[in-house]
Amino acid sequence: MSTAILSLRDLTVDFGGVRAVNQVTLDIQPGELVGLIGPNGAGKTTVFNLITNSIQATSGDILFQGKSIRNKMPDAICRMGISRTFQNIRLFPQMSVYENVELALHNAPRYSILEAFVRTPRASRIEKETRQRAFELLEMVSLKDYVHEKAANLPYGLQRRLEMARAMAANPSLLLLDEPAAGMNEDECNDLIKLIRQIHTQMGYAIIMIEHHMNVVMDLCAGSRIYVLNLGSILAVGSPAEIQSNPDVIKAYLGERRNVR
Amino acid sequence: MGYINAIIILGGINVIAALGVAILTGYTGLFSIGHAGFMALGGYMCAIMVMEFNVPFAIALLIGGTFAGLCSFIIGYPAFRSRLRGDYFAIATLGFSEAIRLVLNNTYEVVGGAFGYMGMSTLTTLPVILIAVALALYFAHMFVTSQYGKNCIAVSQDEVAAQMMGVNLLRTKLIALFISAFYAGVAGGLLGFYMAYLSPSFFSITRSSDLLAAVVFGGIQSLIGPFITAFVLIAVPELLRFFAEWRLVVYGLLFVVVMLFRPQGLLGYVEMNFAFARRWWSKLTAKKDASAKGGAA
Repeated sequence: MSTAILSLRDLTVDFGGVRAVNQVTLDIQPGELVGLIGPNGAGKTTVFNLITNSIQATSGDILFQGKSIRNKMPDAICRMGISRTFQNIRLFPQMSVYENVELALHNAPRYSILEAFVRTPRASRIEKETRQRAFELLEMVSLKDYVHEKAANLPYGLQRRLEMARAMAANPSLLLLDEPAAGMNEDECNDLIKLIRQIHTQMGYAIIMIEHHMNVVMDLCAGSRIYVLNLGSILAVGSPAEIQSNPDVIKAYLGERRNVR
Repeated sequence: MGYINAIIILGGINVIAALGVAILTGYTGLFSIGHAGFMALGGYMCAIMVMEFNVPFAIALLIGGTFAGLCSFIIGYPAFRSRLRGDYFAIATLGFSEAIRLVLNNTYEVVGGAFGYMGMSTLTTLPVILIAVALALYFAHMFVTSQYGKNCIAVSQDEVAAQMMGVNLLRTKLIALFISAFYAGVAGGLLGFYMAYLSPSFFSITRSSDLLAAVVFGGIQSLIGPFITAFVLIAVPELLRFFAEWRLVVYGLLFVVVMLFRPQGLLGYVEMNFAFARRWWSKLTAKKDASAKGGAA
């Protein structure tokens, strides 16, 4: 398993007396698209927060490309190649659509501060390259018509797309999508499936996706695996078909039939 | 004429310091009520460089600014490391600037203590101020439109998202603070060589709060807003001398009114640009074209 791009090793976190994530171990191969599902409060988003180190793990280890990233700052982890979207959208509201994407492209400016003041030809060229790249990404998520719109003014579905473009702009090798289809209707879900599949095949990222819409997860993870998280522990791993027929999973989601009669 | 000169020079000095505060408060979202402290550090350093070491004025200004900028790390590094934000950071800067003022007040060697640093010549003339203001505005504009400036804006809008997108918060904030303190330091140097002496009493909390007021009135994420208000806030009390004792009352009232009706400030999010001039020009030329065509037909 040394080829895994991301491995979680017995990852555990306690919030006071609550064990939110309990000994989670999983491996993601480069270029893989896996789903992470589970009932509300199972600790799915907490796993993402642990990977990006916005929450400190209590024990266990996180290996990214073979190196431990448990003690890295979130921004350093992003620059190493793990990028994410948020369950509750977190764009920069007063910045334009274009600037939101641009920011992730130059999270570490590629010219020096003195060059910023006098804007040397090199700095201008870098700015131009950044602009082109941002437009390419916006085109990919079909937001090109909204380039100069303020992010806060976009409708909800487009804000989600913008978040994805911004996450891609950070040039990740692992993309964490936190409920990309939340609040979307069936048509929008279908568009989203297409978009995620396109991103996955075109960019070759490994993707972990948290999602509640079962048709989205089952469709996108058809060729790979789904992890089911319940009460902080991994309950089941398997292909969509295996997960759908797993009695433990059904129990976690729907509860148990009580034979009262 | 001398009187008008004085207003323009003092207004210009205030503008330079306010541009610094605009970068820190308006663009990076960090409130400072201690910029008078950075002005004092830069001012005294600049004065000592010129008077004791015969350094040319322009270079001394840069040294003063750099010194203020470096000193800002003393407060900035621990504050940002421990993630002090909002009011807490503002209080920290206030404490820092008051400490500087008190140290200067009680150090009689070299800086002259409460008597002030005297015997300076008047080097800050009207042309000097005009050039300094123009350069300050130009460089501030270059900074806020650069990739560094955009990172600052992102930090002010959503710190968590900015960090998750790979922005190094500590470094971004320290850069903003350094530049902001540099501006204040240069303004302090200019002030000293206009007044021909420096006294710790120049750099009280009133000056810091005046600078913050200029930025809050002028608008966040705007350079031109604080530019205008910083000048007006110096000029208006001068023009309305008879009104002087009501000045602070009017300030307070203005604060309340601005906060209620325009919380982003008068020119909040309005970036200095000449798009309006271009539109105007194109409209004008379009009309000319149309009339020329009409004439031809």
